[in-house]
Amino acid sequence: MRRKAWLIPVLAALAAVPAAGQTAPGHYYDVDKEVRFEGTVREIVLEPRYKGAAPFLVLRVEESGKKTMVTVEISPSWFFGEDVHGGEKVKGIGSLSEGPDGTRTIIARELQFRGETLTLRDKRGFPSWQGGPKGRRGPKRFGGL
Amino acid sequence: MITGKMRHIVLLVLLVAVSAQGATVTLTFHQHATQNLFQTNASVAEQISAFSLAFNQDISALSLFANVGYSAFHQTGGLSYFAADLGLDHLVPAGAKSAFYFAAEGAGAFFGREYEAFSTLGGSLTGAFKTYLAPSSIMRVQWQGMYASYADNLFNFLSHAALLSIDKYFPTRTTLKADAEYGYKYFLHPFVPVAADPLPEGGAVVMGAGGGGWGSGAGWGGQRYEGGNGFIPRAGEGGAGIGHVSVSALAAQGVGDVIGLSASAMRQWVVSGENPFMSIEEFYLVPNPSADSFSWDGHQLTGRITLDLPWSVEIKTGYTYSDKTYPGVESMGLDGLPLGIVRNDVRHLFEARLEKSFRFFSVFLAYSHIDNASTDPLFNWSSGYVMGGFQWNLPARRKGGLS
Repeated sequence: MRRKAWLIPVLAALAAVPAAGQTAPGHYYDVDKEVRFEGTVREIVLEPRYKGAAPFLVLRVEESGKKTMVTVEISPSWFFGEDVHGGEKVKGIGSLSEGPDGTRTIIARELQFRGETLTLRDKRGFPSWQGGPKGRRGPKRFGGL
Repeated sequence: MITGKMRHIVLLVLLVAVSAQGATVTLTFHQHATQNLFQTNASVAEQISAFSLAFNQDISALSLFANVGYSAFHQTGGLSYFAADLGLDHLVPAGAKSAFYFAAEGAGAFFGREYEAFSTLGGSLTGAFKTYLAPSSIMRVQWQGMYASYADNLFNFLSHAALLSIDKYFPTRTTLKADAEYGYKYFLHPFVPVAADPLPEGGAVVMGAGGGGWGSGAGWGGQRYEGGNGFIPRAGEGGAGIGHVSVSALAAQGVGDVIGLSASAMRQWVVSGENPFMSIEEFYLVPNPSADSFSWDGHQLTGRITLDLPWSVEIKTGYTYSDKTYPGVESMGLDGLPLGIVRNDVRHLFEARLEKSFRFFSVFLAYSHIDNASTDPLFNWSSGYVMGGFQWNLPARRKGGLS
């Protein structure tokens, strides 16, 4: 019995996790504003998006059949983790927001390109690029210890 | 003792995780089943349950990450082990099209008393630079240095590897990529036989059962290990190193929205030194040499197909042919006598993976089959490997967050 006692705080901590932390004000993933997007990548930039956070990989995507541009926010980790190229056709799902000047930005949840789907956030909008042995922002590793 | 320490580490990681705003915690479970744990002609079936808990917290441009895991071996219980790693990384933009990446990481694996010789602590440093030469072309330079210290210091090593990579995407949806790598691994092997208690019959080793499963091929080895006795010193005292140069090319093609194809070829040459362990038992037990990128001279060909299906279902299949020679490693007959030829393995690896994402988690099932023909008859084997598991991201905010 005593040997299992250490599990109590572990289970308590796990139970507490979903309630921990607070939502940052302002820009966040709004599941009620999800849209699908599809187009061709015209520009790839690494730019600061949020105060106090690492810069994000951001795509300027020309929407198929519309000739309009939309900014697609990917993640900080992707700059090294994945190779997206100008001219590549992409499609995906994300949360749309419109700025006062009419610029449209999509926080991507899922991105499809080259016949693969890459999940950036879960269906509630929580980032899935962090955490986990493969979730780091770095390049692919040469191997472990 | 080690178990007690690991409990504290698990608790510490969890407490840090739940108290940190904006952190992400990932819970992963993998169940493995293999008919040939040690990848030899003496098949040993095994099932492994691997749990891991990963934590990541962004602090401005710095990121703190930690991971603890436990792998339980159902038949060979003495091999069960804890593993943990902790590190920091940092992304530094250099204009809008380029960035540097730096990371420092410490890691360890802790076995019970029976296999304590294989417990290890180590660290790595990584530096990388990536830039868009043009919107459709990427160049990447990467370096990684690593140190590992084992409880049995025969296996301690230092290594480093540098990689240069350039790719180009074409409007036909074709990507061409070329890589060149130089690597060097230096064993701090004292080259002095150390008297040690033999391991129990069937004693074995050990590298990570917690891997993701795709493209792994990482192996298990050392069934013949006898606790550090009986290895053959190569020459004199001090360490020994092995260096390699490799080049590889990859072509990838998207077909419609559903199919992704890729083919790659790699050639590697050992340019200095050789594997320091003349007897395969010695070298085989740390990582399986077929999974150690520093150990071989030869070539490898890989083809892969990815199917991106509706309802968040993805299927990946792949085939890899490899022909690898391990300089310095002698082939031995089943009677234990040297055959006078350097070990060479020709391997056919087939892999398939099915993954389905649900609202809160993802599940996968993977299968791989390996046919390995070796000049060392112990390593003539053919076997399958099944793995299934799930990954669950535990939210640390009430709403979908920004980062």
